[in-house]
Amino acid sequence: MTLKHWCKNLRLAAFIAAFFAHGPLFAEQNKSAYDLVAGTAMAAKELNYQGVFTYEFRGTLRSIKVAHLVRDGQTYERIVHMDGAGHEIVRRGDDVGCLRPGDMLLRGSDLMAESGSGLDDLYSFYIRGNARIAGRLAYMVEIRPKDKLRYGYVVAIDKINGLMLQSMLISQSGKPLERFQYVDISFPVDLGNIQLPEQLVHSQQAPGCLDSSASADPSISMWQPNWLPPGFVLSDIKVDSATGDEAWMYTDGLALFSVFIDSAEKSRRFPPVDAKLGTTVAVLNKVTVGDQHYAICVVGEIPDATAKQIAISIGPLVGTLEGAAQAVK
Amino acid sequence: MSDSKERLAESVSALMDGETSEIELHRILKEVGIDQDQQIDSPDSVRGIWQRYHMVSASIAGEPVDKIDLSASIAAAIDTEDTHRQNPITRFASSTGRFAIAASVAMVAVLGVQQLNSPDPASADALQFAEMDIDAGQQNTGPALQFPAGFQPNAPVRTVSAGGAVNTSQRPAAFVQVRPVNSMNFSEKQLRLYMDDIMLRHSNNAALNSNRGMLPFARVTKNEAAASQE
Repeated sequence: MTLKHWCKNLRLAAFIAAFFAHGPLFAEQNKSAYDLVAGTAMAAKELNYQGVFTYEFRGTLRSIKVAHLVRDGQTYERIVHMDGAGHEIVRRGDDVGCLRPGDMLLRGSDLMAESGSGLDDLYSFYIRGNARIAGRLAYMVEIRPKDKLRYGYVVAIDKINGLMLQSMLISQSGKPLERFQYVDISFPVDLGNIQLPEQLVHSQQAPGCLDSSASADPSISMWQPNWLPPGFVLSDIKVDSATGDEAWMYTDGLALFSVFIDSAEKSRRFPPVDAKLGTTVAVLNKVTVGDQHYAICVVGEIPDATAKQIAISIGPLVGTLEGAAQAVK
Repeated sequence: MSDSKERLAESVSALMDGETSEIELHRILKEVGIDQDQQIDSPDSVRGIWQRYHMVSASIAGEPVDKIDLSASIAAAIDTEDTHRQNPITRFASSTGRFAIAASVAMVAVLGVQQLNSPDPASADALQFAEMDIDAGQQNTGPALQFPAGFQPNAPVRTVSAGGAVNTSQRPAAFVQVRPVNSMNFSEKQLRLYMDDIMLRHSNNAALNSNRGMLPFARVTKNEAAASQE
């Protein structure tokens, strides 16, 4: 009988303990999971590393060799595709100190005020245990979206230096859509053996770095989206004043999509189409203003439905294109 | 004898031969219970039928027919047995115990569900990868090599693989779906090139604006756009 009582007490104790441990325990994990993810962007920029990663989608596998080098505060990247035509890119990346809107969002800066929601409001972050990727110990972190407008991620983050070693894009039904994963990586102190082409060393970094919390200026555009998924902010905008073509880029800190507005004659006869390559969807919509045809294309790693909704919502700014069309007449 | 009584008698007969279904057996036992509650002990009650049928079968078999009812004494003997006597204290204790077990199971379930209600990608991704990318709308994927190059005939939506010539190897082709429109005169090849170009422009922009390391470089590459222009 005493044993029975003892068991009962133990059960009660376990019940109470579980109840109290539950809240704080998970809150703690939540915080650090977010910090880990936020740290990956900085790690990718500041570290010297070289390695080989694989990229898988829809049964296709690519292997790509990369080197990332920081020299005199500037970053350089070399990307060599190991399969097929053996394409190679050597490029100058951003300065180490450069922050783009995506970085700001990921870190939780003032840009949040503009987008109205932080990354925490858009995604839930969970640490899902440990893994060994490319011979290195890593935390597995799940990033689950809180709405149906974006995809989720599962990433493996190096325990020592915080670099993202694996990333899977997860569909709303919980299936992986693509997998990016290092198979081999090393972090040499100096990649002295890499000779940088002169023109790269003296080239300027691409514009768009932020020194304040300002985001890209949308006022130069003749168009505007009437609907955007919550949390996405304009990260980059290019307007070709000669042709009227525009290119926008939006990010919520993790996901990215581009909007291209094309008035070129070649796109004139194309019907509206939906295209998909791997995880990248493209929705082409046609708009006629006056007698001018425009192709509006939304491209990105977002669900089809979201891309379609954005594409449909894009219209000319009142009083700009109509005015121009009138003037042409 | 009413219709239902007749059917009940049939069931009792079947029970004697061991041929009743579960439902029939339950019905018979229920009838016995009702008879007992209403203190009915007529020859038409289930017990009466049961006794009569046994007498008939015994007499047909040539056994001595004798009406002995042991049921009351058996019931009394069962009642006096310790295990079946219900003590209110033990009953209370056992129900509390059951509650405690149920509560701990529920607790485990709640905690467990919180941990598990998402797919555990760390362990399951290898298996799931075989069936990746089968979201609705692009089910006709299969290996990239088997993509049809031209329009598929199935109306009303037509599908194109925006990849250029079919013989250009393992390069995966974009799955392009033309939304039905009033007929437009356009070149399929040009459309593919245009879409490829758009995706390439996006991936170049993404590489610049992404904070996801080298990942954007892997997605759509110059490689492919170049190949499709062959």
